[in-house]
Amino acid sequence: MKAEAQALKGHLEVLLLAALEDGPRHGYAVKEALRDGSGGRFDLPTGTIYPALHRLEEAGLITGSWSTVDGRRRRTYHLTAQGLRRLHADRSNWHGFAAAVTALLERKPWPATT
Amino acid sequence: MASHHLIDAYLARLAARLPAHVVDELADGLIETCQRQLAHGLPPDTAARTAIAEFGTADRIAGEFVAQAPGRRTARLLLATGPAVGACWGISLIAAKVWTWSVPVTVGVGYAVALLSVIAVLLAAATSRHSYRRTRLGTAGALALAVLDASMLAAVVLLAPAVAWPMAAAIPASLGRIGYAIHSLPHVRTS
Repeated sequence: MKAEAQALKGHLEVLLLAALEDGPRHGYAVKEALRDGSGGRFDLPTGTIYPALHRLEEAGLITGSWSTVDGRRRRTYHLTAQGLRRLHADRSNWHGFAAAVTALLERKPWPATT
Repeated sequence: MASHHLIDAYLARLAARLPAHVVDELADGLIETCQRQLAHGLPPDTAARTAIAEFGTADRIAGEFVAQAPGRRTARLLLATGPAVGACWGISLIAAKVWTWSVPVTVGVGYAVALLSVIAVLLAAATSRHSYRRTRLGTAGALALAVLDASMLAAVVLLAPAVAWPMAAAIPASLGRIGYAIHSLPHVRTS
């Protein structure tokens, strides 16, 4: 799981955007969405989610608002229009990338070189 | 769960290093994590320890926030571009024969001292790895640099007998830096 968390680093931001696609969530709910959505494989340290959310907010891809829940201040994030566009673009790139890697990893004869 | 001494101590470590609004947000997440452990039937002490372990170390979390702090980024950008802007002004002042301007030596020395002080402040912000408070010096340094840029522009307008051609690069560079300093002023999160 730790190795997967490391491998996830470069993809964390797009996964956070995806976790917010269905509606607003606060930090802990985003972490749970990542864990549950990956069947438990991506169970990141909760604290690492928050700096990444702040980076996304500063980039204008998500925006947060404060509320009070059980006497605690809670910051809930939702996707901006720019964030949604980025998610669609990154998702499309990922599909192309994953299809290429899958094609190469399939057991089949490699093209002959001349 | 209202509170637990382990959770409180962990949050106190974060509060010593991070802004209050960040700590509020982290506290909400940590307490949610702890409540989840309690709901799984763990006793309070174990739930608090498990929640803290799941959350990550305070050093790591604070370090990530410090690394991406706006003041630190501002300071790094200004230090990276500073030599080029300084070179533009150096060439400009030589071309404009600054030694012939009617500027008292003490003013020139004072300007140099102020510039070196601003560089030191920016270096302190840019190299901060553990203290968010220190990164805020980046914004202060940017504003001080803007004042120095404005002073230099005023000196050119008021004292330079003629405009030297290298100023065509130096003046826009200073104006850009002033604009960047204003843009980098922190936004207060109230909503």
